[in-house]
Order: sequence, then C-alpha cells, then structure tokens
Amino acid sequence: MAEQTLSRPAAARMRASPSRLGAAMRRNGAGYLFLAPWLLGFFLLTLGPALASLYLSFTDFDLLTTPEFIGAQNYVRMVTQDPKFAASMKVTLLYVLLSVPLKLAFALAVAMLLNRGMQGLPVYRAIFYLPSLLGTSVAIAVLWRQLFASDGLVNSLLAQIGIEGPSWISNPNYSLYTLVVLSVWQFGSPMIIFLAGLRQIPTDMYEAASLDGASPTRQFLRITLPLLSPVVFFNLVIQTIEAFKAFTPAFIISGGSGGPINSTLFYTLYLYQEAFGYFRMGYASALAWVLVIIIAIFTAISFLSTKYWVHHDD
Amino acid sequence: MTTPLMGRRRFIGAGMLAAGLPLLIGRAALAQQSAIRMIWWGGDERARRTEAAVALFREKHPEISIQTESMGWDDYWARLATQVAGGNAPDFIQMDYRYMFEYARRGALLPLNQFLGNELKIADFGEANLASCSMDGKLYGGNVGVNAYTLLLDGAAWDEAGVEMPAYGMTWDGFAEKCAAFTEANQRPRVFATADGSCQEALFEAWLRAQGKALYTPEGTLGFNAEDAGRWFAYWAEMRDAGYCVPADVQALYKFSPETSPIVQRRSATDFGHSNQFVAFQMLVDAELSLTSTPVLPDGQPPQYFKPSQMFSISSKAKDPAATARLINFLIAEPEGAKLLGLDRGVPASAAIRDVIASDLDEPGRKVVRFISDMTPQIGMLPPSPPQGAGEVNDTIIRISQEVGFKAVTPEQGGANLVDEATSILGRA
Amino acid sequence: MTDASNNMPGLQPKHPRLTSTLRHALLIAVCFVMIYPILWMLSGSLRPPEELFGGDAGLVPSQVTISAYPDGWFGLQISFGRFFVNSLIIAVLSTIGNVLAASLVAYAFARLRFFGQRFWFALMLGTLMLPYHVTLIPQYVLFRSLDMVNTWWPLILPKYFAVDAFFIFLMVQFFRGIPRELDEAARMDGCSPWRIYWKIILPLSMPVLATAAIFSFIWTWEDFFGPLIYISEMRNYTVQLGLRSFIDSSGTSSWNELFAMSVLSLVPIFLIFLFFQRLLIEGIATTGMKR
Repeated sequence: MAEQTLSRPAAARMRASPSRLGAAMRRNGAGYLFLAPWLLGFFLLTLGPALASLYLSFTDFDLLTTPEFIGAQNYVRMVTQDPKFAASMKVTLLYVLLSVPLKLAFALAVAMLLNRGMQGLPVYRAIFYLPSLLGTSVAIAVLWRQLFASDGLVNSLLAQIGIEGPSWISNPNYSLYTLVVLSVWQFGSPMIIFLAGLRQIPTDMYEAASLDGASPTRQFLRITLPLLSPVVFFNLVIQTIEAFKAFTPAFIISGGSGGPINSTLFYTLYLYQEAFGYFRMGYASALAWVLVIIIAIFTAISFLSTKYWVHHDD
Repeated sequence: MTTPLMGRRRFIGAGMLAAGLPLLIGRAALAQQSAIRMIWWGGDERARRTEAAVALFREKHPEISIQTESMGWDDYWARLATQVAGGNAPDFIQMDYRYMFEYARRGALLPLNQFLGNELKIADFGEANLASCSMDGKLYGGNVGVNAYTLLLDGAAWDEAGVEMPAYGMTWDGFAEKCAAFTEANQRPRVFATADGSCQEALFEAWLRAQGKALYTPEGTLGFNAEDAGRWFAYWAEMRDAGYCVPADVQALYKFSPETSPIVQRRSATDFGHSNQFVAFQMLVDAELSLTSTPVLPDGQPPQYFKPSQMFSISSKAKDPAATARLINFLIAEPEGAKLLGLDRGVPASAAIRDVIASDLDEPGRKVVRFISDMTPQIGMLPPSPPQGAGEVNDTIIRISQEVGFKAVTPEQGGANLVDEATSILGRA
Repeated sequence: MTDASNNMPGLQPKHPRLTSTLRHALLIAVCFVMIYPILWMLSGSLRPPEELFGGDAGLVPSQVTISAYPDGWFGLQISFGRFFVNSLIIAVLSTIGNVLAASLVAYAFARLRFFGQRFWFALMLGTLMLPYHVTLIPQYVLFRSLDMVNTWWPLILPKYFAVDAFFIFLMVQFFRGIPRELDEAARMDGCSPWRIYWKIILPLSMPVLATAAIFSFIWTWEDFFGPLIYISEMRNYTVQLGLRSFIDSSGTSSWNELFAMSVLSLVPIFLIFLFFQRLLIEGIATTGMKR
C-alpha cells in the first residue's frame, strides 16, 4: 500500500496547493475535531471545577451554607497558625524523599540484574511486577495492616530469630516506614521502564569500554547511568508526583486518622480531614492549591536540573 | 507489532456494544429514583435488621417507596457531607449526637416539632430523652437508643487474678488499686488490667463531671483548664508506667471500633465504651463480658448522663418530610418496627417499647437493659450542647493522649497543649 | 527472550556458571520476599480464622478449608457476585471510553498540526499534576445538577472525555514513534485525517492500545474513592466498596473471609496480567521511556 501511494506524490501536492489559507483552516478544524473530547472534558471536568475550587480557597465555606469571601486568610493561616499543616507537610516530604529514591534505586538494581540476559527472565519480571499491579486496592492495604500488626507476619518471622518486634503500624516511630516499604515493594513499573531503557544502550559501547579495561563500576558510571538518565528522569518525575498524591494506603492503615500522633498524616489525608471531617471546604481548597503549587515546583526543579545530569545524545 | 489484538470488525462491534450497553443497564443503576432516601452507618447486622423493618413499613405503606444506603462510620460523614453540599441530602439521616449540632446549626436538618403528636408520637420518651436530641429548644431527631458510658469487664480474667471486679460506686483511686492488684496476681501473658482510657473523651468527661466541671460551658468555651487536663493525663501516665494499663503502641491500634479494642484483642481485662456497643463487644469475644458505670469521686457529682446513641433526623430539603417522620415513628415508637431493630442501636427510650422487646432479648441484651435501668436514678444533668469544632477537639485529645503515651511530651505539657489547641479550634469555628 | 542475551559482553565474569547461580539465588530470594505477603494472604483465606495470628508465619495451613469463600461471598446482604458484575460493567465501559478518547486526542497531538497545539499539550501535561481533591466537590455539584449521582455515569462518563492525561501522554509517545512516511503518503493519496487515524495509526498501535486498555481496566477496577463518593446503594456497589463494607461489618472473627474476598478481588487483575503480560510489558517499555 505504501509503495502505491508513494508513486503519486506530485498529483497530491498539486491538489493541496490552491488555497493555503483554506488548507490551514481545514487543518485546524481537523485538529480541534480530534481534540474535542479532551477539550470538553478539560473545560467541564477539570478547569471549571479547578477554578471553582480556586475561588473557594479564598472563602470560608462549610459545605452547607453559602461561601463567604475572606481574602487570603486561609493561606495566611496555613503558614502562620496551623501546626498540622506543618506536620503533614513534613510527613509527606519525608515520604517522598525516602520512598522515591529507594524505589528507583531498587528498581534499577533489579533491572540491571535482570538485564544480563538470563534464563527465566519473563518469570522473574512477572513476579517483580505483580505487586505494583495490585497497586492501591483495598485488599493490599488490608494485607499491609495485617503484615505489620503486633502479632502479624513480620513479627512472627522476627520472633523465629528471637527478636520481639514492635507494633509497627501503631508506633509513631515506625508507622511511616511501613508505608515507605509498601511503596518500595511496588517497584515494578519503574523497573520495567528501566529494563526497556537498558535495552536501548548499544552493546558495542560496553565492548569498547571493556577493551579499554574499564571496570564494571566505571562502565556503570560512565555508560549506563548517563545513557539511562532520560529514563531516570522520567521515572523520577512520575514517581514524585504519585508520591505526593498518595492517599489510600495511609487512609486505610491509620483508619483515616493519620495517626498515631500524625505520623502518617499525609498531606492529602489532612486535606480530606479538613474537607469532610471538619467541614472546612474553603480551607481544604486552599490546601489543595498549595499542593498543586508544591508539585509544580518539584516538577519544575526536576526539569531545570536536567541540563546538569540528563544526557541528550542528539 | 502489527498483529492486531482483535479483528477490526470485532473492534467496531465492541464499540457499538459500548454505546448500547448504557441503554440496557439504564433502568438499573443509571437512573435516579425519587423516594425517601434513608442513610445510616453501621455493620451488616444493623443493615439486616433495618432492612427487615423497612420492608415491613413498605408493606404497610405501599404508597411510600424507600431507598436505603448504609456504610461504615469512617466513610459515612464524608459521603453525607458531599451529598448535603451537592444539594442531594438523603431525606432520612441517621445522626450522631455531636454531628447533630454541626448539621442543625447549618440549617441542614428539619425541626421535628411540627410532627409531634401527629406523625411522631414520642411523648413517652421523657423530657430528658427529648432534650438530648434538641438544640435551642427545637427537636432535631428521634432518639433511637439511650446510651451511657461504661466500663467493659472480662469477669473471668478478674476472677482468675482473684480481684473483685470494678463495680458501681468505685472511685478513681479505687480503680487504680484494683488494677494494681490485678497486675500483681495476673497469670495471663500480654494481658493488662485495663485499656488506656486517656484517649476516651467520654471518660474524660465523666471524670470532669465528677469534679463539677465539664468539657464545655454553656457559652461554648472549654469547661476545664490546663491543670485539669494535666492531672488527667498524669493519672493515666502513672497507670501506664506501672504496667496497669496497656502500653501506648497497643492502645494506638485502637480505632474506636469494638473490633480494634484492647479487650477484644485480648490485651486487657477492662475496656471502655458506650452501652449500646456492649452487645457488639460481646459477640467478638469468647469470654463473658459485663458492664458497669465509670468510676466516681467521693462526694463527687454524678459523672454520667444519658445521650442518644443515635438519632433519626430529617433533612431540611426532604421531599416528603411527613412520610419520613412516619417512618421514623415506625422504627422507634411502634412495637412492630422497634422489635425488628432490637437493641442494635441502643436501649429504646420508651418504657413501653422496652417491655415489648424484652421477651426477645438474649443475655447480653438483658444486661444492657438492666444497666440502663440501674443507671437511671444515678444520672446527672445533660451537659450544654457541644460547640462547633467539638469533633476536632476530640481528635486533639486522642492525639495528645498518644503524645503523652509515647512520651513525646509530659502529662503537664500535654494538658497545657490541649487547652491551647482546643481554645484556638473553638475560637476559629 | 533471546534479545536480552549477551547484552553486556564487557561484563563477562570469570566463572560464568558460579555467578549465574548466585544471581539466580539472589533473584529467587528477592522474588520470594516479594510474593510472600500475597501467598500468605492466599493461605490465610484457606485456614480457620483462629490460626491466622499468634505467631504462625508459615504458608501451609494445618487444615485447609474453603468455607471462607462461600461464607464471604454471601457475607453481606447482597452477594459479591453482584459487585463483580457491577465492577466489570464499569471497568469495561471505562476502558472502551479511555482507549477511544485518548487515542483520538493523542492522534491530534502527535500527528496533526493546528493552532495552539503546544499550548494545549502543555496544559494537558499540567493536569497530570492536579490532585483530584481539587476538583472533587465542584465535580460532584456538576454531576448532581445532571442528576447522575448514585449512578455509574460519574465514574464512566469522564473516561469518554479523556480526562486521564496519562493515557494521552502514553499514546502520544507511541504514535510519534510510528514512521511519518506512512501517513504522509496516505495524505498525499487523499486520505482524510480520520481515515489515517482509523486505518493506519490504530492498527499499528495495538501494543499501546492494549497497554492503555489494561491499565484503564485495572485502575477502574481498583478505584475506591470515586465509587465511595458517588455510589450509595449497595446493589450498585463495586468490588472495592463491597470489600470496604466487609471490613466494616465483620470483626476480627472473620479475617479469613476478608482475605478470601480480597483474594477474589485480585483475581481479575491477576488473570489479565497472566494473559497479557507480554503486551503490557512491551507497551510500557516502548512508550514510557521515550523522551
């Protein structure tokens, strides 16, 4: 089919030439026609509601009575008089800064192990991918709560080597880490993306390097990491955003409270509490917008930093 | 890569199916019905009982159609708030004592006074049980169950330790002594004399009321000071340090449901709860439980009062409030309906209804009814209505009790923090 | 998987067999840790409830009983069968919507030229960062005014408007990798953009369409928050909501039933994974990592 069409390019060009303006119009028309579903959805389901909530963030709105405009008071309160805002921000940042690098490092390590052409690769890959597939379903959160219960699986295993484990999820010193472990456990999808990235690195680069006597560590630092950096970047951005938005595991593990002592009070959980627990929809909207800004800042920093570490070969 | 997953024709077929399917299922789930919409929180047992009662009501009033929804406590308030905010409030709302004020204050509930004596015949509930469902002299809900706060006791565990169980009239110091004796003689590994009560707002309230204080004043400010709160946390800190009550990381597993409580988890011989939860606690453990009132002070005030375990309210946007009121009356004031609900939501306020259901009760049920009857003469005044923000103050008590428990702050500091934070919450609301 | 062999000839170890054994041992150990919790849940659903806790970390039940499955299945007023059918309908309709809408939009971004393209594309990517909490209440009010609360529409309809930018992004990445000569030739030949989309791009994009479909299905299946807010009657519940009610209504006494229902709720996802593993992984690998 391709050959046939290629034989008549000139005729087609002649047909298209008469009116450049008309062609542009037609092109735009087609473009917007295809874009239409998203445009509709964007304005009705995303932008409209988002603007509405932006307005609400400047009001005192308890869900039941009419919103009352109060200027920037919600935002001022957040930074000056709200210890829970600070606490939840700390928990969330800690979670992001711990879980994302650990997850990516783990994913990369396993991907490198798997990449060295081995038997049974699909089986390993499948097993490693399974947990992230099961994702945030209620069943997994239930399972996690039981694993780390004081008489749960983890402590049973520890008991066999003579250690009496703490009650992981109800001890504020450990509870957040159980959620970090949950996140790292689900390292499957960045791993698969890493695997794909590793495949694209030309093998002759390694051959040349090993002829020059470069050690595996050096090869990793000089070849693998630079060539993989766009993939690392992609994973970093996606996982960071996801980590900021995490909600269900903390919600189910703490029973919605973010406890004990706010130790699992994810920012989204705090937002949810303010909105639906305390009827402060205006304040919750302000919290939501601050989250948007924070995510945007993190993403922007990631993008700006790319010129220092992300390798572009073209 | 070019192998198609499915043939083109089949792909198009699937698309057409997708377009047609909504039409097929349109009648079932995709259409909205107009009827009395009824919503409550609670478990499966409650759902079965309520559905049975509603079915009977439908039989008697075929002209009224009723649509029911139920869910767990945690999800309930988020869902209700979204529905009310969306202008889609259910007509029939199961209300909680504290939330009643939040919703009534915002005009989301309909005053029921207009139905009294007509659709709603609840005069025999008594003044106290009507007052506890009222705000500013207006009735906002039908009392579904009379409730008091209790100590829950595992009798066998106390017997085994050779200590007489806590009973009515025991003082707070007496309670601590009993726990000490229990701890001394206890043979059961990992079991403590009592759960940690410092996170229980209602227990704190009982302790305050015995001293003639309260959680809140009629003006809606705090009814206690930093020193009071500090002494409360200090009492429990001593219990904890001495090993009388469960350690902080065990108590932190408690999510304010019977299932997660230390006594059900077999970590304590004593726990705390509202009397309407007693049957649920009993169903979860093999040991026979009993219940008694909270400790008192020598020459102190009566610590307890009856509050509604739940109430049935009507949305201010209800389409047919009169029919909804009739349904409420059927469930709480007519023998046929009330019998089907049983004790699940608490002991009925009406003595006549109590007599009707008495014959169907099992042993735990009888214990609860007896407890409420025994308590009646000992009961104190109803406290002023909780101010806006009371729910958040409760959460703060829980958090600070954990901070003290895990020794992040001293009891004195915890007391001071509680008063500071609570004052700021109340000032803001 | 011959393509993966000899990928790093520079790293040929001195004792190939030994290191290979070691590597397998390491991988098997990691695998075991990874799936132990899931196996434990499976075995937990097969044992009597009192055996679940109190120090037994083993996977082999002392006695196997499957009674938790029927007990759990009919444990609520409405059986889990209903919830599965509901979830299935919602997930299938959502999946179709997502794939159709996202591929249309992605085609516009990847292949057509129109005014404001870069702007809209940036905006589309921007929505990836928006937490759903921001739009929750206004969206609810919107669906309420359309009389769609307590129906499945709020869960399904947005998918037909490609609100999940992730899928658009995924497909744009893939479409860009399809040689341009193909559709340019077709255009010269007088093919309309629609025909190019339908006859050239879509048939060549089966891996990414399959990936999007699979993810779409799984995510809709697992969604908890949406149904929680919008679905109120139990007969319209999804599996996740059913599971949640199950936690609420059953105490510590029936953990085995909860585990049994949890296991069942994961079965569809597991089956999809089993059958479409290759497509899924190929789909992610060929799209996610490109710039």
